[in-house]
Amino acid sequence: MTMTMTAALSLSESVPRVAAVPAQTSLARLVGIGKTYGSGENAVAALANATLDIRPGEVTLIEGPSGSGKTTLISILGLLLTPTAGEVWIEGKNVAGLGERALPGLRARNFGFVFQGFNLFPALTALENVAMAIQMKDPRAKSPKGQAKELLERVGLGPRMHHLPADLSGGQKQRVAIARALGGNPPMIIGDEPTAALDTKTALSVMELLRELATNAGRAVVVVTHDPRLERFADRVVRVEDGLIQAIAAPSSSASSSVSH
Amino acid sequence: MWTLARKLLLHDRLRFIVAIAGVSVSVMLVLVQVGLYYGFMDTASSLIDASKADIWVGKRSNDSFEFATPFDERTYYKVASTPGVERAERVLINFAQFKLPDGGDLGAQVVGVDSTPGERPLLAPWNVVEGDAQRLTQPGAIVIDKSEVGKLHIEHPGHITEVSGVRAEVVAMTSGIRSFTTSPIVFTDIRTARSFLPQLGGEPVTYVLVKVAASEEIAEVQGRINALPHLAAYTTEQMSMRTRDYWSSRTGVGAGFFTTAVLGIIVGFVVVGQILYSGTLQYIREYGTLKAMGAKNSAVVKVILSQAMISAALGFIVGAPLAMGMRAAMKGANLTVALSPQLYIVTLGITAVMCSFAALLSIVKVLRLDPASVFKA
Repeated sequence: MTMTMTAALSLSESVPRVAAVPAQTSLARLVGIGKTYGSGENAVAALANATLDIRPGEVTLIEGPSGSGKTTLISILGLLLTPTAGEVWIEGKNVAGLGERALPGLRARNFGFVFQGFNLFPALTALENVAMAIQMKDPRAKSPKGQAKELLERVGLGPRMHHLPADLSGGQKQRVAIARALGGNPPMIIGDEPTAALDTKTALSVMELLRELATNAGRAVVVVTHDPRLERFADRVVRVEDGLIQAIAAPSSSASSSVSH
Repeated sequence: MWTLARKLLLHDRLRFIVAIAGVSVSVMLVLVQVGLYYGFMDTASSLIDASKADIWVGKRSNDSFEFATPFDERTYYKVASTPGVERAERVLINFAQFKLPDGGDLGAQVVGVDSTPGERPLLAPWNVVEGDAQRLTQPGAIVIDKSEVGKLHIEHPGHITEVSGVRAEVVAMTSGIRSFTTSPIVFTDIRTARSFLPQLGGEPVTYVLVKVAASEEIAEVQGRINALPHLAAYTTEQMSMRTRDYWSSRTGVGAGFFTTAVLGIIVGFVVVGQILYSGTLQYIREYGTLKAMGAKNSAVVKVILSQAMISAALGFIVGAPLAMGMRAAMKGANLTVALSPQLYIVTLGITAVMCSFAALLSIVKVLRLDPASVFKA
């Protein structure tokens, strides 16, 4: 914990804060979102009437059993899935009905993703993985390698930036993935079970890093998890069951008692 | 993009080697097969291409250069007196029996040219490497090619032999003059040629070679000669193409070589396509992650196309020297593989197109890749 807090301090110094977003202003807003797969008798409602605000500086945990609609919810939030009902407000516009051509730019400006399986190119070093994502997001980006180096140093991977993913531990790989998600300075980081493949100690250090990104760099962090121990890093916990948001609440007292931010 | 493409290709060394081997074999097959074809075609039209004539005149009924029907010498005078003709020379081409030192006979292609002392004919032996081709005007003088030494068992000029029972002396030897029919070419004066070919009777002429006056248009003179009965006039280029087309289509040699070349392209296409596709499947989640984070389809497609182009370039770099090696090896077997700079450039282009098409399946895969699929563990 002490070690990760030190890393977090340096993170707050270097990762730029999300600019010009007043506190408590929504970065993204889902209103009455529904998603139904199939049609007629075969229709399956994965999500119904979901409303959620994503605010800067907050860590939002999305919990629920398998098949409850968590992934559908963050897929719609990340503009990877088109809802069948409701509105998705990003950059002051309802983007729910936009075509696929308009979405890559919106995604690149607004989101970074962190996955359970890291999804790093095994042939590229940590530095190249991050730099390549920066360049892919914005082909005109200035000095992608310089930016990538800075991001990796800030997540504590400066000494190992020239290593291939195969030579990194699970926690280190996830830090590379977080650095990659920060490429292009998006205001929202979405994590899909980012700690599921990690041991407890490593999982907690990764969550601390995400927590610091919210507290010190003003990012909105949305994390899907099955692990209630992570609640202590969250500002809000969204409980999803059977395609419905059952509750949006502060973390339970037992979990939040150890929150250190 | 290039860095990512290169590293993705090189990450799995074995797969990379297989890809490059596939492209290299493809490049080599295309170069050697097309080179062999052009080598044969160059051989087929070599006598025509080496002539200094503007127009070749033969019988209208002729299909083949080598098996042309002769006409009477009076026709030669008609052509020679056509307005615009500065110079006209007779050529007699036919087959005769060449007497071998061991007493046997071998079919040879006699080429009788209109040689005049002190003047270079419009068609004459070239690449003379031994002896004196100027002596061709002497009765019984012949010139043969070094590449036929094995068949004719004649090592040097000065050898006395018989052609169709008539005494002949080898006065010079050339290098690299061969006929498409594989019969040795025997250059001689037209008068000697007529003595070798008594069965033709009279004063036969197979072709009249025409040099057009500088003040005249070749096409106009060609038109005037074409107006003469039973004659067809072709520019040297037309005659050359006609001969190449004849051997290419009548013997099926063109189809044969090009079929093998196409098979080479198919082999390269399948190998590269399979390698690229399996590589794309291997990294499908990573490509999906890039798309999820805002990478445009065009950016991801560039990575795959770059891999295809790297495979094409490296395959060509390895395949081209292999083809050169094959050319050297085939030279020993008297086979000409004509590898021109144009053929290299066209083959490089074909290789790039082949690899691009081979990447299509992978490109379709990433274009259809739903970025939301990255959430499906």
